[in-house]
Amino acid sequence: MNDPTGPWASAAQIAAAVAAGDTSAVAVTEAALSRIDRENGRINAFTEVTAGRALREAEALDAARAQGQTVGPLAGVPFAVKNLFDVEGLTTRAGSRINRDRPAAGADATLVRRMNAAGAILIGTLNMGEYAYDFTGENAHDGACRNPLDSTRMSGGSSSGCGAATAAGLAPISLGSDTNGSIRVPASLCGIFSLKPTYGRLSRTGTFPFVDSLDHLGPFARSAEDLAIAYDALQGPDPTDHACATRRPEPAAPSLRIGIGGIRVGVLDGYFARNAGSVARAAVAAVADGLASFTEIRTISLDAAEAGRAAAYIITNAESAAFHLDRLRRRAADFDPDTRDRFLAGALLPAAWVTRAQRVRQWWLEQALAAFREVDLLLAPATPVPAPPSGTKMLEIGGRKLPLRPSIGLLAQPFSCIGLPVVTVPVFSEGEMPVGVQLVAAPWREGLCLRVAARLEGDGVAVANHRAPAEA
Amino acid sequence: MTWDAYIDASSAIVDLSIAEEFRPGVAGFLQLAADMAAVLEGVDLDGGQLALAAVYAPPDVRDCKDE
Repeated sequence: MNDPTGPWASAAQIAAAVAAGDTSAVAVTEAALSRIDRENGRINAFTEVTAGRALREAEALDAARAQGQTVGPLAGVPFAVKNLFDVEGLTTRAGSRINRDRPAAGADATLVRRMNAAGAILIGTLNMGEYAYDFTGENAHDGACRNPLDSTRMSGGSSSGCGAATAAGLAPISLGSDTNGSIRVPASLCGIFSLKPTYGRLSRTGTFPFVDSLDHLGPFARSAEDLAIAYDALQGPDPTDHACATRRPEPAAPSLRIGIGGIRVGVLDGYFARNAGSVARAAVAAVADGLASFTEIRTISLDAAEAGRAAAYIITNAESAAFHLDRLRRRAADFDPDTRDRFLAGALLPAAWVTRAQRVRQWWLEQALAAFREVDLLLAPATPVPAPPSGTKMLEIGGRKLPLRPSIGLLAQPFSCIGLPVVTVPVFSEGEMPVGVQLVAAPWREGLCLRVAARLEGDGVAVANHRAPAEA
Repeated sequence: MTWDAYIDASSAIVDLSIAEEFRPGVAGFLQLAADMAAVLEGVDLDGGQLALAAVYAPPDVRDCKDE
């Protein structure tokens, strides 16, 4: 077992050690804060470290345990959140300069409270692309968040700090947001697990929005088990988020090891193969090979995804720009130059394009649901390529040159557009940076995605990187 | 219509001035959006359906094999 105060201890190991009294929440927290102090400078994942609060939470948890109280499933586990989550007493900057003029949050976001209620310890807030309109991890105000596996490369965005902090051993669990791929892209480029649940599954109350009809929140972790434990702690209805479903929690961790033999798996070709480089295609093939002996594998074309992605682009551009219109009118020069021009353009789109995008979105959902009558799970790369060098502006895929910033999420966007649950699993191959593979299921079937991820991890097909940044 | 002319007309309507130095970038993203809109135009939609999904609840799917 890993040292529960070390960088590679899993959340499950830490919680078990704290619950058993083998270590204390304070010891785990102090070790985590010390690591951030030593190592964050290299990757720039944290924008605020909540050391005082973390130690107070840890002391309270240790005291409760000493009095014989039951501690939660995440007892003493350090976690950090993308800086669009409200944290009481901090200004929710959402990656921007403009939001720093807003008052400090008066209360924690719902999901922060739920993590605390499960015993987890908040250690800080994390870097992100401005207003979440980013796939790169670059930020003009806070500086680029760098990839812990190779600091000359992108971490991915917009939940850049989540990918980097969790991959670097600084936070076993982090929480991010995904509107078009912002949970899946950093997980892919940094080599860790992530879950973008079904739209409406997790409450968004107390987070700064990007695109209301597309915004999802979810966890990052270095193992499928940790992802499931965090997901279970986060579930539950919340009447204060108008999009949050009224479903009761459906715990995934207790059934994580239930067999998946006989499930039907579709490997997406067509649009998804055309827009993937060789490393990404090889990663999907490795996952399919890993499942082949006990599942039914077939190849599926779902080329309606291209229109689904176009719909996501237009809806995102128009809806987010309308949300920021007053800020664009008054303070356009204070936006990050890499998001500003796209927001400005979004404010000028014809309504007919936006309405057609919504109609196509519904049509694309129907195409995808038809595919789930044939298979239980779809496989596709999370990103077209492994982490590009920082500052790269163009992406070459299949002989075509595309602008990188809007394009690195083009394999992720179709699924968030229609709210499907996706677990991203990390696939490393010799001599290459990792690429994530998306395990996509029908609505509300996060449990299946997590079970397949756990099996792939157990079989050594998809394993998060466990190297200290200095060794990487 | 050029993007410059479009920016002049549409930005005035929404009371959003676009600084000169931002115009090339804005024009580039308008072109990208136009390319996306062209993809959407290529979809053969049912002319009698108007199902907008601004905020929607994904449906239950209960015919999956492992349940």
